[in-house]
Amino acid sequence: MKTLRSTTSPDWRSALRLLPWGLSALFVGYGFVAGGYPATVIGFALVYAVFVTGLNLFMGYTNQVSFGQNAFAAVGGYMSAVLTTTYQWPVVPAMGAGVAAAVLLALVIGYPTLRLKGHYLAMGTLAIGLITYEIAVEWQSVTQGYLGISGIPPLGVGSYEVTSDRGQLALLVAIVLASTFISARIRDSRMGRAFLALGASENGAMALGVDVARTKLLAFLVSAAFAALAGCLFVHVVGYVSPEVFGLHMVILGFTMLYVGGVGSVAGPLVGALIVSLMPEVFRGFKDYQDLAYGAALIVILIYAPRGLASLFDRAKARPRSADL
Amino acid sequence: MTLASAPGDAILETQALTARYGHVRVLAPTDIRVRTGELVAILGPNGAGKSTLLRAILGLTSTTGQVMFQGKPLPRGDAVAVSARGVVLVPEGRGIFGPMTVEENLQLGAYRLGRDKPEFERRLARVLELFPRLGERRAQLAGSMSGGEQQMLAIGRALMGDPKILLLDEPSLGLAPRITAEIFEKLATLRDEGLPILLVEQKAPAALKMATRVYVLSLGRIAASLDADQITSHEDLAQYYFT
Amino acid sequence: MSNTLKMAALGLALGVVASGPALAQEPYKIGISAGLTGYAATVDRAWRDGVELAVAAVNAKGGVAGRKLEVIVEDNRSEPQEAVTVYRKMLTSDKVNIFISGCVSAGNFAAAGLVVRAQVPMVLCSILPQQPDQVKWAYTTLPPAGFEVTKRLEYLKEKTDVKKIGVLHDPTPYANLQKAAAEKSAADYGIEVVGVEQYKQDDADLSVQIAKMKAAGAKAILKIGLGGTTLTAAKNIKQLGGDLLMLTSLEDIAVFKPVAEVLGDKFLFVASPSQVYEGLPAGPLKSEIGKFLEPWKAKFQDRDPNWASRGWDGVMLTVAAIEKAKSIEGPAVRDALETLSGFQGTTGVYDMSATVHQGLTKNPFFIATISDGKVKVVQ
Repeated sequence: MKTLRSTTSPDWRSALRLLPWGLSALFVGYGFVAGGYPATVIGFALVYAVFVTGLNLFMGYTNQVSFGQNAFAAVGGYMSAVLTTTYQWPVVPAMGAGVAAAVLLALVIGYPTLRLKGHYLAMGTLAIGLITYEIAVEWQSVTQGYLGISGIPPLGVGSYEVTSDRGQLALLVAIVLASTFISARIRDSRMGRAFLALGASENGAMALGVDVARTKLLAFLVSAAFAALAGCLFVHVVGYVSPEVFGLHMVILGFTMLYVGGVGSVAGPLVGALIVSLMPEVFRGFKDYQDLAYGAALIVILIYAPRGLASLFDRAKARPRSADL
Repeated sequence: MTLASAPGDAILETQALTARYGHVRVLAPTDIRVRTGELVAILGPNGAGKSTLLRAILGLTSTTGQVMFQGKPLPRGDAVAVSARGVVLVPEGRGIFGPMTVEENLQLGAYRLGRDKPEFERRLARVLELFPRLGERRAQLAGSMSGGEQQMLAIGRALMGDPKILLLDEPSLGLAPRITAEIFEKLATLRDEGLPILLVEQKAPAALKMATRVYVLSLGRIAASLDADQITSHEDLAQYYFT
Repeated sequence: MSNTLKMAALGLALGVVASGPALAQEPYKIGISAGLTGYAATVDRAWRDGVELAVAAVNAKGGVAGRKLEVIVEDNRSEPQEAVTVYRKMLTSDKVNIFISGCVSAGNFAAAGLVVRAQVPMVLCSILPQQPDQVKWAYTTLPPAGFEVTKRLEYLKEKTDVKKIGVLHDPTPYANLQKAAAEKSAADYGIEVVGVEQYKQDDADLSVQIAKMKAAGAKAILKIGLGGTTLTAAKNIKQLGGDLLMLTSLEDIAVFKPVAEVLGDKFLFVASPSQVYEGLPAGPLKSEIGKFLEPWKAKFQDRDPNWASRGWDGVMLTVAAIEKAKSIEGPAVRDALETLSGFQGTTGVYDMSATVHQGLTKNPFFIATISDGKVKVVQ
């Protein structure tokens, strides 16, 4: 009986696990074929998928809370925007500098704050997000304040620029796949297991020899790098940046995507980013009731899939308690 | 008895070790010792301070006195350094990582090993030989296993760290007598292979069968130190509990 | 299958028979990206209502170039990212012919690149984008920021003996432009700016900034920025005592009523023509405003007409351009917009040209005050 179960079940279970990926491919494929407005919505969703992948590393794997990821997106995005417009840098090195600056900031901030626990860490990161926003508004000689920076060149390498909707979408798909792949590799690495262990129990992880403070900092840095990459992608895809882009709004959206998609799962960020981006557009026809329908849909998802949509298909490893012990 | 299990020099020794929570002293100056080849049981009623004693040895609570391990003092307040010395605790309630698979839990047990693949495989083979059931459940989420299997995993994970001494906090908690017996047999095997073990138990009978020596802990102090063959029943022990 | 074929055949037949008139029936689509929610909601809802009112008026007269106008409004939540999405939606799904968009300047800037690529002109409520290739396609009904400032300076010079002023502003782009204008042109009116202080839109106390400027010798404060902070500033000025004047920027009159109760005749503000309609002399301006105010009052009673009147102007400029171009094509309408000069709107006369896309070139403003609950022009 046991052999029977183990030979038949993995097939449909592994098929089920591919479902979130298939679904995502379907959405992105639609945007690719339709072009225009759907392509724009899917494009933003993909940028957010990178952001949420980073958030997931820190919140899903290591079980910490950060309300300040928008700060890193802002540093990455503004750095790349200023370098490419004011200083005429090429896009790729400017993005690299943006990500590096954000990681450096994360190091400076993370070293003291990650010693804080629970609510204190959350409040600390929230403050960092708000301060960064204020700097973007006030430091007008560099950021141009609310006026924003326009004329930011599109993504591309050398003289080759990706300007078409489909080209941009294809590039973003490649970047999201790479990000997701990295996230999956981290999940299955020694470092990733340390993330998960300290997420489950700091004392337990310590007893096994995991240096909790260092590991947390590492997770924070990696997530900041993802956030900064998303910030860079945003400014080059849109061609414009102003402080509102990286406001608290971004944090709330990121959290919603993470929880709808599935905290801690590899496919969750992509699924969440796509669903949460597409839902308001589906409900756009409702006019004044758009927000109401969107809110109701979110509540339904969180009631019926409290661990996120991706987790509905991710239970392949779980089996019922064995009866013999 | 094999040579390896013959009592030798003290490997772990507490010297006037005390512990306090805030202003309350919960452990009077305590001197216990575990020698190579020994399985030492600390028995006592609920609230006697058994878990506190283990935490004090690991330096996780505020303590005075010291703990000598392999002739050198164990650091205080640094769990990572303590585990690096080979002192590994299997905590009460097992402390396994439920959302991770059995295999991932075992990999975490060997965290300090780094990327030494052959050594990892050697340790894994040893653990799976001891607990074949973990091999069958390798890809299963740890949280979905039965209590007995989880306890096996907790011990297996500790062994993956190649401990020099194993500390166990109430390994029989919540388990049926048959399964407790099975687990204690495994511990006896480990002891016979030369791994010193210090365990804390409320349920005396099972522990008594296996232990080489017993300390009775009551109200935060050692009430008695006995060789296992000096006691045959729970009643023999109970007389020490509230003195 | 056969049904589809029949339908296709029918469609083809109809198309051949009625291709001319059928095309003419296609409405001319006006897209509005507006912050119906979020910080711009008050202004942008009024702007939208003004646009819709004008469209109804134009359609009642038979539309333009044989077409009815149709309005498509999308809420950008006052966020640039949302604005890009809704602009994109209106471009590719609704295929709008022109944008007459609201005052969320960051949103208009963020989308400007893709609007220009689609060769769709924009007539905006906000300031113009910064890139030259984007300015080419964008026009605004907004008076230059300097007008609101120079009107106040002019009043101070001619009607008072104030020689020293302080400038109190928020960090929005339009407020920053006004601040810069004040610093630049004060000397032309024999006035010295003795202090420039910034605040944030949600500040609950401005007494520190005001006291600093007062200590520096300011006898009047130019307050630049919208919202509840105007009342806060008024209360702080009263608490500090003295006879400090406060002259504020253009704003919804409803916001000013309680301010006037605090400061009385020490409170003056910049008003647009539609806000002081009753006091205007008869003429083309008054009659143009009258055309707008009649349906406005019928629908919205006492609601402030300022922003809505500019939305009305946006539609009327578009209609004039289409009639002049005799075309609804984006490039043709863009070119025609550039040639509109001497165009009488509700806010003033628009003189567009190849180099001037901010058409209000003569200062249309008044300085007004409120006494006994009535708006009164003082200059």
